[in-house]
Amino acid sequence: MKRLVTLIGIFALLFCLQLVGGGFEALASGTEGGFAEQAIGGLEKLWSFTGFANVHYTNIIMIAVGLFFIFLAIKFDYEPLLLVPIGTGVIIGNIPFLAGNNIGLYESGSVLNYLYFGVEKGVYPPLIFLGIGAMTDFSSLISNPKLMILGAAAQIGIFATFLGASALGFGPEEAGAIGIIGGADGPTAIFLSSKLAPHLMGAIAIAAYSYMALVPVIQPPIMRLIVPKHERLIKMKPPRAVSKTEKVLFPIIGLLLTTFISPSALPLLGMLFFGNLLKESGVTERLADTARNALINIITILLGVTVGASTQADYFLTTDSLKIFGLGAISFMVATAGGLLFARIMNLFLKGDKKINPLIGAAGVSAVPDSARVAQMEGLKNDPTNHLLMHAMAPNVSGVIGSAVAAGILLAFLS
Amino acid sequence: MSLYFVDSMTWTITVLGWFIVFVALVFLIGVFLTVPKILNLGSKRDVRKKKGSDAGEQENKAVVLTGETNAAIAMALHLYFSEMHDEESNVITIKEVKRRYSPWSSKVYGFNNVNFPR
Repeated sequence: MKRLVTLIGIFALLFCLQLVGGGFEALASGTEGGFAEQAIGGLEKLWSFTGFANVHYTNIIMIAVGLFFIFLAIKFDYEPLLLVPIGTGVIIGNIPFLAGNNIGLYESGSVLNYLYFGVEKGVYPPLIFLGIGAMTDFSSLISNPKLMILGAAAQIGIFATFLGASALGFGPEEAGAIGIIGGADGPTAIFLSSKLAPHLMGAIAIAAYSYMALVPVIQPPIMRLIVPKHERLIKMKPPRAVSKTEKVLFPIIGLLLTTFISPSALPLLGMLFFGNLLKESGVTERLADTARNALINIITILLGVTVGASTQADYFLTTDSLKIFGLGAISFMVATAGGLLFARIMNLFLKGDKKINPLIGAAGVSAVPDSARVAQMEGLKNDPTNHLLMHAMAPNVSGVIGSAVAAGILLAFLS
Repeated sequence: MSLYFVDSMTWTITVLGWFIVFVALVFLIGVFLTVPKILNLGSKRDVRKKKGSDAGEQENKAVVLTGETNAAIAMALHLYFSEMHDEESNVITIKEVKRRYSPWSSKVYGFNNVNFPR
């Protein structure tokens, strides 16, 4: 064994000596620019390719934003399934690189550009909706359909933001795409902005998803401001049991009605109701299982990373993005207030045990299931025996339908 | 024409858009309030066919089961079934374990016999 090691050592030494000798010979002869010159040239080229040579302070800002998203997700558990992929995507998209080498998301032919295709052409959002449909139980909505109106009321956020964006000088298409942030629905926001204003998609998607993650922070103060204490204590009648036939009929009727009214939202609504039919039919459990687990997980990963990566500093850090973020925050507040106020108005016409707890109006903001969970938490804070989750799910899922219909309407008006 | 910072077209889209969303969902509400009634009509007719004309009065008195009632029934059933034991034979047997010879941990191979005269 010792002999073998000694032999290998001698060979290695000889090889090194030959290399050094050759280098010295090349230096001495001065042919082909010399070893040192070649080495320096190579190192200079390598340096020009590194992130250190191409870094700009905007990249650092965006990387910090990405790290902040990851921090929010891990530390405070704010929508981790979205914020971890998006945060990582923001970092990936803002690593400085030498342009023209098919690396960046916006360079055609790059791997990231291929993955971004699904966002750019609106492929991912309908697939996400398929998964949401296969996950969602519409029975609370079927048992008390009048709560669906709260989902419509909260869509005021979309149209108020549309007005605000127009007033701030955005064009009609851009304003429409920005307005959909008020729907609090990430896939719908991406779908509409890919059709109306692809250049603003990064900012719109990031605004929509960040505010969706911040729903537990944004909504409670507005709820306490608008709904008086005694109304927060209202206990609602438990929802009636829903038959299987009703559950099977719901996606079929919903699909036919909503898409006839707003055909532009067909990819979203079609897939949402299709996913729900897979779940409720009871004969396609394997397909429903794939849609609500494997498929939606794959699409969430791809969507999150590519949307995050689309925030490349030179495309993203503009005054327009700042305006979009401001409008997004206002739209969430307006949507929440709209749902709450409408619930209070509804109570004026309802009597006895038919009265509704206005807190569930905030769930009309279609961030499923976060806003419903916020309504539940607020209800429990006021009365630990008052569980509002099942009731809040009705405006919550109708908000998803409402925002998809609103997206279709905006698309029809503006495209 | 400009009206409060934005043109009239923007106002039109805003008002009309929100109105259409409302109409769509109110339409759905109407349908889903009607569907259970239609389904109940069918089931009532079936009951009448089975039990004759007297069944109508009983049907009117039918108890509406809420989700809470169903949850209570499900909980009771769950508790009942979780308390039940599997039927066992009550026969205890001790099986003799036969091991095949293995030299793996044999001490014979672990000793160095160099100090012993052969």
